[in-house]
Amino acid sequence: MLEILGTIGANVISLPGILGLALGMMTRRVWLGALMGGIVGVLATFVFAHGSFAAVDTFELLVAIGIGLCAGSVGSAIRIKGATV
Amino acid sequence: MADSPEKRGWIGRIWNWIWTPAVAFSSGFLILAGFLAGILFWGGFHWTLELTNTEEFCTSCHTMETNLGEYRETIHYNNHSGVRAICSDCHVPHEWNHKIKAKIMAVKDVYHELAGTISTPEKYEEHRLSMATAVWKKMKASDSRECRNCHNFDYMDFTLQETRAASEHQRAIDENMTCIDCHQGIAHSLPPGYQERYQEVTETLASKAQGSLQQQAAADGDDIKSFLSTRAD
Repeated sequence: MLEILGTIGANVISLPGILGLALGMMTRRVWLGALMGGIVGVLATFVFAHGSFAAVDTFELLVAIGIGLCAGSVGSAIRIKGATV
Repeated sequence: MADSPEKRGWIGRIWNWIWTPAVAFSSGFLILAGFLAGILFWGGFHWTLELTNTEEFCTSCHTMETNLGEYRETIHYNNHSGVRAICSDCHVPHEWNHKIKAKIMAVKDVYHELAGTISTPEKYEEHRLSMATAVWKKMKASDSRECRNCHNFDYMDFTLQETRAASEHQRAIDENMTCIDCHQGIAHSLPPGYQERYQEVTETLASKAQGSLQQQAAADGDDIKSFLSTRAD
């Protein structure tokens, strides 16, 4: 349980959460925001595994993608709600 | 007029204020103010995080006194080179993602301090093996990542090491071993039965790795089968 919470929290204030949110805020298309966030999740996990797919933990990858998708979607929602352009 | 500003509660008014376009501030002002606020927030956050990495912070709890006493007898505390590895050097990863995960998981230490799980020497000894096992698992799974922040086989001059150390390090390289495979008690006393428990840890992790390899091989086999059947069609 603690492992899951730790992984989620780490991703929320790491690249998938922050960059995913920022990229999501660049578009009004929620699917595009989510997609960009998800891609950041994949790339971030790869970067933190020192560029080795063998060192990528499946659970961490899935959590990072999930957080990226959510952050990207929230970013797009913020754009829709908070901007007129 | 249920939607009128007068009838809204304070949460509703704040919500409305957040999403109303700013008319009193230019975009440049908002960008600069946001940038400065971001720097202040991030600097403060990072500084606070670094404070939780100090030895004083780690050992400020009563339950950490035993660990501290043991660690002070080891080479990581006092040595000829004058380089010291403190608690966070071995227990907190450097990379951001892993560091935040470790910090969040460390909340359990606060809980156990309050609950008094290891508040007496007897309780401490009772839990020593399970605490050590948790750390060994992490270190084995991460290929002793925290050890390798300072130690690296590539930088070792085996000719300067004792013969036994040099040959064991060479064996570690040849057999793809990791630091914790041999150095389990490098900073804290070892509990009785540690060798058997460490063996269990390595076997559990190896079987997990084997399982995922088999799954991958099976998936690859399915891919090949589907490719061949497509080609045959």
